[in-house]
Amino acid sequence: MSALLHVEGLTKRFGGLTAVKNVSFALEPGEITGILGPNGAGKTTLFNLLTGFMRPDRGTIGFDGVPLIGVAPHRIVNRGLARTFQLTRPFIGMTVVENVVVGCLAPRVRAEGHTEARARDMLDRVGLGAKANVMVDALSYGDLRRLEIARELVTRPKLLLLDEPFAGLGTSEIEPLAALIRELHKSEGLTILIIEHRLREFMQLVRRVIAMDFGEIIATGSPAEIVRHPRVIEAYIGRGGDDLEARLGVAPENARGIA
Amino acid sequence: MLAWGSLTKTDVIGAIVVIALLSVVPFVGSRYIVGIMTVALCYAIWASSWDFMSGLTGRENFGHSLFIGTGAYTAGFLNVSFGLSPWWGFPAAAIIAVLFSLIIGIPTLRLRGPYFALAMLSGAVVMQKLSIIFSETTGGQDGLNGLSPMLRSQVSAYYFTLVALVVTVIVLKFIALSPWGTILRAIRGDEATCQAAGINVNFYKISALMISAAFAGFGGALYANYQLQVGPDLFDVALSINIIIMVYVGGMGSIYGAVGGALLLIGLTEGLRSFSEYRLWVYTLILILILFFIPNGVIAPAWVRVREWIIGRSAAFTRRASA
Repeated sequence: MSALLHVEGLTKRFGGLTAVKNVSFALEPGEITGILGPNGAGKTTLFNLLTGFMRPDRGTIGFDGVPLIGVAPHRIVNRGLARTFQLTRPFIGMTVVENVVVGCLAPRVRAEGHTEARARDMLDRVGLGAKANVMVDALSYGDLRRLEIARELVTRPKLLLLDEPFAGLGTSEIEPLAALIRELHKSEGLTILIIEHRLREFMQLVRRVIAMDFGEIIATGSPAEIVRHPRVIEAYIGRGGDDLEARLGVAPENARGIA
Repeated sequence: MLAWGSLTKTDVIGAIVVIALLSVVPFVGSRYIVGIMTVALCYAIWASSWDFMSGLTGRENFGHSLFIGTGAYTAGFLNVSFGLSPWWGFPAAAIIAVLFSLIIGIPTLRLRGPYFALAMLSGAVVMQKLSIIFSETTGGQDGLNGLSPMLRSQVSAYYFTLVALVVTVIVLKFIALSPWGTILRAIRGDEATCQAAGINVNFYKISALMISAAFAGFGGALYANYQLQVGPDLFDVALSINIIIMVYVGGMGSIYGAVGGALLLIGLTEGLRSFSEYRLWVYTLILILILFFIPNGVIAPAWVRVREWIIGRSAAFTRRASA
């Protein structure tokens, strides 16, 4: 099967800092992949490059067999590559359903019509149906994450990029959101790429993890392999002197056999 | 969500009552009052066209007078210099104002930060200077005088302006309530999120500015044809600021609030004439109090409350009638 996303030699510099350095990887259709790395590893910059919000200095991005470099963000969404943001930024002053309607108005899906009905259906699917007419300002952080996923899903993506979807959520909110992501993956056959800086959230969710540090890919493998990888351990322990378990969110010995 | 979808029957009745009240002005008011009201209706067109772009998308335009002035001068030139009928001035004014909106909007609206607001402001200032410098064609400080009147009587000019305002508000409100308006309000919420939802934000921002400019230019031509005179004061920064204040007082993003704000502030200016030299002080004090204590504006929020009260009362009435 040919790769849905193919990234080759992607590099982005900000002045003297190389935020993303010679990154290459490929995603097969239907895969859930995680990108792991400490803060500042270049994960969000990588997302910004993939979604057209930033232009790489070098490298190529192929999506569905078409190059994506220099394509405007909204066009990339209309080709089927959607993303969420690390800090959710809803449309303040609008209702929950209006927030999702905006996604239904993207050119690729607008012709389908029934924008409001489709928005409400999607809200039901992500568990926000009862809050459709509430002003978005009143939503909890966990609900905002669901809203953001709903707004992206109505654009009918082939690949969904989730930027730290579990950040800022309580333990009780993480599992239901992970279950939702798993469910969407299964029912839609959606290819998903998730950023996290802690491995714990990944353990049940992803089969493959790409670990990054200082803008480079340092390891690729299953969560169990990643957690024992010397360069990953170095990346997490090497700074701040904290223990690995706290920083990764999981103890290496417990990771054995998972995934 | 669809056009008119969020407009209740009460809104339509409220609008009809306001139009009816404005229609009786020539029957009850003096010539002077009708004159003031005609100017107030022009301001209402300018304010609602400002609100359409800036109130909905949140990108504030500090030089709306650029569109008003170019529209007015276009109408003036066609009439005075080329001897064309005043009616040609309206479409021409709208087209020229739209051209100016493209010149400023295309390069600056795609940038974050204050560039658009500043470019609009300086565009208006530059055009005001140019209109004074090229005095041989523009008449300099005196402007263009002696436009031939479009309508003979003052009362018919008033009604023509009223119809123009009603059409302006209906068109702008119709777009604001359509999916277009939803996108413009989403742009106000967050541009990056809007892009992530697959929306071409630059296209929508520039189109909104073009529509805003078309109505402002049209309003400028209307004003020129009523005053029969066009001057560099129509490019004034003070005019732009006045319009912004009218929209703030009326309530941003509602379109009809801007109309209310314009009528309220013009009325206030006239009402304070008895204060003679203290007039500006009192006016400024009232404005500061409004903007400080009622930051969401007066007209639109007040109407929302009145509407709730009317709907509540009529529901109670229906219940009692059926019991």
